[in-house]
Amino acid sequence: MNAAASRTVPAGQARPERMVPPMPLASRQMRRNRDVGHDGMARAALFLAPALAIYGLFTLVPIGATLGLSVTDAAGLNSVARFNGAANYVSLAGDPIFWTALRQTVVWLVLHVLLAGGVGFALALAIAQLRATQVFFRSALFLPHVVSLAVVGVIWAKIYDPFFGLINGGLHAIGLDSLARGWLSEPALVLFSVNVASSWQGFGLYMLLFLAGLQNIDHSLYDAAEIDGASPWRKLLHVTIPGLRDVMTFVVSLALINGLKGFATIWVMTQGGPFYRSELLTTYIYKLAFQFQEQGRAAALCVILSLIAIAITIVFNRWREKQP
Amino acid sequence: MRQMLFGLALAGTMGLGCASGDALAQTQTLKIWGPEQITDPLISQLWNDLKADFEKQNPDVTVAFTPPTGTITNGAVQAAIQSSAGPDLVITNSGIGRVQIVAKAKLVQPLTGYYESRGWKNQLYPWLYAELKKQFGGEIYEIPDGLDVIGMFYHKDMFEEKGWKIPANYQDFLKLLEEIKKARLQPITVGPRNNANGGHLFGNLLQISAGRETIGKVLNNEASWTDPAVLKGAERLRELVDRGYVSRDMAALDLDAAARLFFTKRAAIMVAGPWFTTNARRANFPMDKAGYAPMPTDLGAGESIPTGGVGWSWMIPTTSKQPDLALKWLDFILSDEVMMKRAQHASNWMVFPRQLKSFTPTQPILKSVFEAADKGVGYNPSVYMPGNVLDAYLQVIQGLIAAQIDAKTGMDQLKAQADRAAQAR
Repeated sequence: MNAAASRTVPAGQARPERMVPPMPLASRQMRRNRDVGHDGMARAALFLAPALAIYGLFTLVPIGATLGLSVTDAAGLNSVARFNGAANYVSLAGDPIFWTALRQTVVWLVLHVLLAGGVGFALALAIAQLRATQVFFRSALFLPHVVSLAVVGVIWAKIYDPFFGLINGGLHAIGLDSLARGWLSEPALVLFSVNVASSWQGFGLYMLLFLAGLQNIDHSLYDAAEIDGASPWRKLLHVTIPGLRDVMTFVVSLALINGLKGFATIWVMTQGGPFYRSELLTTYIYKLAFQFQEQGRAAALCVILSLIAIAITIVFNRWREKQP
Repeated sequence: MRQMLFGLALAGTMGLGCASGDALAQTQTLKIWGPEQITDPLISQLWNDLKADFEKQNPDVTVAFTPPTGTITNGAVQAAIQSSAGPDLVITNSGIGRVQIVAKAKLVQPLTGYYESRGWKNQLYPWLYAELKKQFGGEIYEIPDGLDVIGMFYHKDMFEEKGWKIPANYQDFLKLLEEIKKARLQPITVGPRNNANGGHLFGNLLQISAGRETIGKVLNNEASWTDPAVLKGAERLRELVDRGYVSRDMAALDLDAAARLFFTKRAAIMVAGPWFTTNARRANFPMDKAGYAPMPTDLGAGESIPTGGVGWSWMIPTTSKQPDLALKWLDFILSDEVMMKRAQHASNWMVFPRQLKSFTPTQPILKSVFEAADKGVGYNPSVYMPGNVLDAYLQVIQGLIAAQIDAKTGMDQLKAQADRAAQAR
C-alpha cells in the first residue's frame, strides 16, 4: 500500500491500522515520565506547597532575617536598624566574654556527649540483658527526659544547695564533710555540675536509641563469639560497638546538636556565673538580645553558632564515613 | 408562607448575633504584667479587690493579671512585650538602668505629657519627680509604684540574747561579725545567684566606703568604678569573704535560699528591702523578732543610710492594645483612695512614691524601715545601670563572693563595660 492509496479510503470503510514500529522500552519510559512531568509535577507542587510554605516561613525567613540583622546596629523593637557591615562580628572578636563563652560551649558539648551519651549507652547495655524487668527500667530511666529542662534546673539547684542540698547534706550525714562542695559556686566545678543536671535529663532518649540498636544486632554473632571463647569485653568491642555504628553516629550527632542548644539549665541554675564561668554562647545570645537589647550583635552570634553547628556536624560525619 | 417564616427566623437570628457581637466588642480586657508576688494569697486578695473596684467603675472592662515570669534584668519583660500577645501595662522592677533598656529599645511609651495633663506630677514626692525628669533628657517612661530602702535585717532576739548590738562604725561592725562567726553562725547571708540580692549587699558596701555622692557620680559616669574609694567597697566584700563572714558557697544561693538561712537562724544578718517582710510571712517567720538598721560606716553618721531608689514602676508598652485603659488604671492606682487601701492592707510593705497622711505601717519593723528612709536614701547601683553594665556588676559580685576574682579585676571589668555603654550612648 502506497501513501496515496492510504489517503483515499472509501467512505464507510474502516481506516487500516498504521504500521508503526514498536517503541523501545526506554523511550516508552521517558514518554511516561514526560506525561507525569506535565501533570504530576503540578500535582506534586500542590502537595508540597503547604510544607514548603511552613518551612519557608518558619525556617528560611528567620534565617534570612537573622543574617540581615547581623550586619545592622539593631537595638530594639522600633529602633531604626542601620547597616554596619561586619562591625558586630569585629566587636565580638574583641569581646573576651565571647571567647570565654565559646571555649566553655566546647567543653559543655564534650561533657554532654560523654555524660548523656555515655550514661545512655551504659544503661542500654545494662538493661538490654534483662527480660521481665526491662520494660520497668526502660520507662523509669526514660522518665527524666519528659521533665522540662527549666524544672530540671530548679530541682538540681536545690540538690546542689551548699547548706540544705541533698548532696552536701548526705556527705555531712555520713561524715564525709571534706567532700562537700559549693557545686555551683566553685569556678572549676560549676560547668560540670550544671552539665550533670542537663545530661540527667537527656540520657534517657539516647538510652532508648541504643536499646533499639542493640535489638537489631544479629544474635548469631554473639553465639559465634561465645564459641570462639570471647570474653564479654571482647564481645562488646568486636560485636556490640561495630553493630551500633549507625546508632552511635546518630546519637553523637544528636548529642552535639542538643549540647549546642544548652541554655535552660544554665539559665535557671547560674545565669552564666559566677563571673562568666558557666557562660555559654546561647546564654550570651539571650543576654545580648533581651537584656542588653543589642539584637545586631546577638544575631551575629547566632550566625557564628549556626556555622559552628554545621561545621561540627560535617566534620564528624566525614570522620565517621572514613572509619572502616 | 413557610419561606417567609424561615426568612424572618433567619433575620432574627442574624440580628441577635449582631447584637451579641456588639456586646462582645464593648467588653475590653486590660492585660497587666504583674504585680510581683501576685500568686501569694494575701497579695492576690488585695489586687483582686482593686480589680473589682476598677471593674465596678468601668463596667465594660475586665482586668487580667499575669504572674510575671521575670523582670527587665533577665529579659522576660522585653520578650513578653515583643510577643504579639504582650501585656497592655507592665509593673516590674525598675530604676533608670532597667527603664533605660526598654526605653532605648522603644518598647515602652513616653508618659511625660500625662504627668502634666493628668496631674500625676503632683502625686509624687517633688524630689522624685525631679529625679525622673533628669533621667532621659526630660522624658519620663514610668510611674513609680514603690521605693526600695535597702538595709540590714537582723535577729533582734538573738542579738539581745548574745549581747550584740549594731555598732556605729565599720571597724566595730567587723568585730561584731567575728563574734557571730565564733558563735558558729553565718554572719551575713546573701543570694547573688540569679537575682539582685548580691547587689543589695554590694551596693551597701560601696556606699559606706565611698559615700552617697561618689556613688551617684559613678552612676552618672562622672567618676570611675576604679576610683580608690569605690574600689575599697569591692575590697571590703572580698575581705568579708576571706574572713569567712560571707561564705564562698553563697555565690550559688538565690534570694530564697539565702533567706532560708536567715529564717532558720543559721545566719544573723541579711541585707534586703522592705519587701523582705513578705518572704518572712511566707516562711512563717515572725518579723517582730527582727530588727532593721543601715550598714555602719566610717564616713560619718550621715552616710550610714540605706541604699535604694525607685524599686517598681508602671510602664505602658508600645505594643499595648489598650493604652487608654492603661492610663485610666494608672489614674486609679495613683488615687488617694487606692493608695491608702494598699497602705493599710496586711500584705503591705511598700514605701509609696508620695507621703501618705495619717498612715501607720501595719508591721512594727516597717516603722524602722520608714524611719530610716526619712533620713535619706542612697543609691542601689543595680537599678541605675544599663543592661551590659548590670550583668557585669552581678557577675563581679558573684566572682568576689566565690573568691574567684580580686577587687581590682572586678572593678576593671565594670569600668570596661561602663565605658562600652558610654560609647554606645
